[in-house]
Amino acid sequence: MSFVGRRLLQLVPVAVGVTIVVFFMIHLIPGDPARTILQQHATPRAIAELHREWGLDRPLISQYWLFLNRLAHGNLGQSLIYGVSAASLIWQRLPATLWLIIYASVLAVLISVPLAMIAATRKDGIRDHVVRAVPLLGLGMPPFWVGFLLIYGFGITFRVFPVGGYGTGLTGHLDAMFLPALTVAIALAPVVIRSLRASMLSVLGADYITTARSKGVPARRLFFRHVLRNAVIPAITVLGINIGFLIGGTVIIENVFAIPGIGQLMINSIFQRDFPVVQGVTLVFAVLVVLVNLLADMTYASLDPRVSFDR
Amino acid sequence: MTYRTHALKALTAVGALVLMAGCGSGGSSTGGTGGTGGSAGAPVHGGNLVIARTADSQSMNATTVFDNESIWIFEQIMQPLYTVTPNGKGVMPWLATSYTVSPDKKTYTFTLRKGVKFSNGKPMTSADVKFSIDQNTKASKGWGFINTAIKSVSAPTPDTVAVHLKYPWAPLLADLSLFANGIVPANYGGETENQFYTHPVGTGPFKWGYWHKGSALKLVRNPLYWQHGKPYLNSVTWTDVPNDNTRELQLKGGQAQIDEFPAWSTVASLKSTQGVTMNLFNSTQTNYLAFNELRKPFQDVHVRRAISLAINRKALVKAVLFGNGKPANSLFPPQVPFYQQSTPGLQYNLAAAKQEMAKSSVPHGFSTVMLIPAGNSDYLTIATIVQSELKPLGINVKIQQLDVNVANTDEQSLKYDMTLTLWTMDIADPDELATFAVDPKSGAKSFFTAYNNPQVVKDTHAAQRTLSTTQRQSLYNFVQSQSARDAFMAYLYYSPYPYATSANVHGFFVTPLGNYHMENVWLSK
Repeated sequence: MSFVGRRLLQLVPVAVGVTIVVFFMIHLIPGDPARTILQQHATPRAIAELHREWGLDRPLISQYWLFLNRLAHGNLGQSLIYGVSAASLIWQRLPATLWLIIYASVLAVLISVPLAMIAATRKDGIRDHVVRAVPLLGLGMPPFWVGFLLIYGFGITFRVFPVGGYGTGLTGHLDAMFLPALTVAIALAPVVIRSLRASMLSVLGADYITTARSKGVPARRLFFRHVLRNAVIPAITVLGINIGFLIGGTVIIENVFAIPGIGQLMINSIFQRDFPVVQGVTLVFAVLVVLVNLLADMTYASLDPRVSFDR
Repeated sequence: MTYRTHALKALTAVGALVLMAGCGSGGSSTGGTGGTGGSAGAPVHGGNLVIARTADSQSMNATTVFDNESIWIFEQIMQPLYTVTPNGKGVMPWLATSYTVSPDKKTYTFTLRKGVKFSNGKPMTSADVKFSIDQNTKASKGWGFINTAIKSVSAPTPDTVAVHLKYPWAPLLADLSLFANGIVPANYGGETENQFYTHPVGTGPFKWGYWHKGSALKLVRNPLYWQHGKPYLNSVTWTDVPNDNTRELQLKGGQAQIDEFPAWSTVASLKSTQGVTMNLFNSTQTNYLAFNELRKPFQDVHVRRAISLAINRKALVKAVLFGNGKPANSLFPPQVPFYQQSTPGLQYNLAAAKQEMAKSSVPHGFSTVMLIPAGNSDYLTIATIVQSELKPLGINVKIQQLDVNVANTDEQSLKYDMTLTLWTMDIADPDELATFAVDPKSGAKSFFTAYNNPQVVKDTHAAQRTLSTTQRQSLYNFVQSQSARDAFMAYLYYSPYPYATSANVHGFFVTPLGNYHMENVWLSK
């Protein structure tokens, strides 16, 4: 079986494990979705009626079995709060979060690669010190604060970007999601820059680079074909791991920029005890994290011929 | 917009990053308070208004949903026979124009407004009214309780509807003005209830647009609206922006025209922000400190009185509302009919508090827990102030912050010592609040306090069936006075509804019940 096939198969026990942990955790903690709906008018009779309607009056194990059964048929169940399918809510919100993650990753790469190149080619020079020091500010500043700073500057003072939202259409998304993606990229870039700079320095000192130089390979070609290609591999791993964390951590950015993403949906659903939605979102998060790591491994292997899928 | 423009903007943004640290606050000079309107001239048609709100709606089913973020939206679509007056103290004809009462006071016959059509083009008839009220009466896990006095509804002619009561019922008009008694097409226009409420149809100024759950809900102008010339706006969109700062920035950035509930700490600065009108509308919101009388020592009236007397309400108003509110003296807020200004709700008096403690079963003090929902900074401020104010009485308060859902569950199951709670009126009559608050047999067990004063309960129910305004005033005076003396809750403060609007928004007004009429709102150029 191919490497990709094996990794995708490994997804099944991961997903089942996630469903077990999340299902029992969310059901065992105190709180009741019926009270979210009924608020101060939550009489025992009305609560019981809603529990019966939702199947929450059944034994927990029977509820879990029903959930698995539905899941096997591609059905995540109905949202208890909205009364629509949990899958439809998730699919409605997933694109915004994916946009944020992908856009932020692209921006992080666009910021990191040139800066790391500048730093590596001028080791211990002023530019190197500046590149190593300044981006650390992005790592040190809380993302919500960076977000507000960007909104204040580009949304209010210069009015070049909208103050939050997701936008409509491709150009609308590019426009509306720029500031949130930049906020994430500012936090992501310092780690990537450091990793990339270190591996570039290591590659620059390698024998094959000296050989290439002695053969007269032009500097530009040497850098892009030999140095960057080899140096980028550890950075991809770093980026992949950080994107994995990012998938579960977009909620602050979604909150600050009012992005209707899956992180915000998750938080609201937890507070409201909307069990099917919490279970669905967690499952999607788990699958995304596994897929991002798989993608990082595949990129790694395609860039480095020494790495084989079959070993 | 082209990709090149976006690329340029992106470059500009990245290039200007370094300037960001130097960006200070600027651009604010004048502003205003009070309702939107002013001397903007005659209303103009057109425009799409955006309201940035704190949370999403739950459902459009008017008969079963309790959250305000749903109610304020579907009120623009479905309308009742009567509606609340701007001062919140009465009702005025809406889809009905008048009514007559039978000699035994048990049958009200309403004449329907002529020429009213649903947004689907079908005329509204008495059959629709009967169906709508019947549906609400049946809503056992919804607002059905509000129609408890209704025996049946009949439609003698297409233009008249008769409501037959089990007994004379004073709050009937107020009850019928509740959104849950809003009129929908009979038999939901041939759809199921669930299908219908995914895109409700009504006689209101706006009709269904779309609802992207967790993101935005849009209503568009109903050209068939019965108030000719209204609404002025082409559409209204409610966007979900839970972060206070982001809502404010969207207002300042022009992305939204109305900021629902700006943080109290920002009200003063918004008042002086150019292009922004800061509105503080009179409300019926009242905040209370509730005592659980199932737990010791809160059965002791002297303990409750001592705590109530030890709380400095003016300090709370200053700390929590930044001065934008008033200390509460009664169970009822001033915007409710039959509110009694002279109700002796206990006010700050530390000496008197100490005297009450001395008379109590715990003269040397005790330890207790105050339950509050986590993440509510206003409640945490109140709890912290109360905690320090009760120390001189020897009362050691531990603040327990629990997840909102868990805190609500514990409150409603009476698993707490003291907790913070609030109320906002749904109808222009004190009946709903009074029954909820003082009747231990109501679903709410006396506002989840287990308070039980039989005479107060008796007078509350007597006020329901007494049609004489004078007699009702007398009964409610007793209910307010006695419940204040019993100190079953400490009445903390009355707060207004804060809404910040762009200066070009006109006609936006929030009634003390919290609802608003978007048909009156217009945008100047």
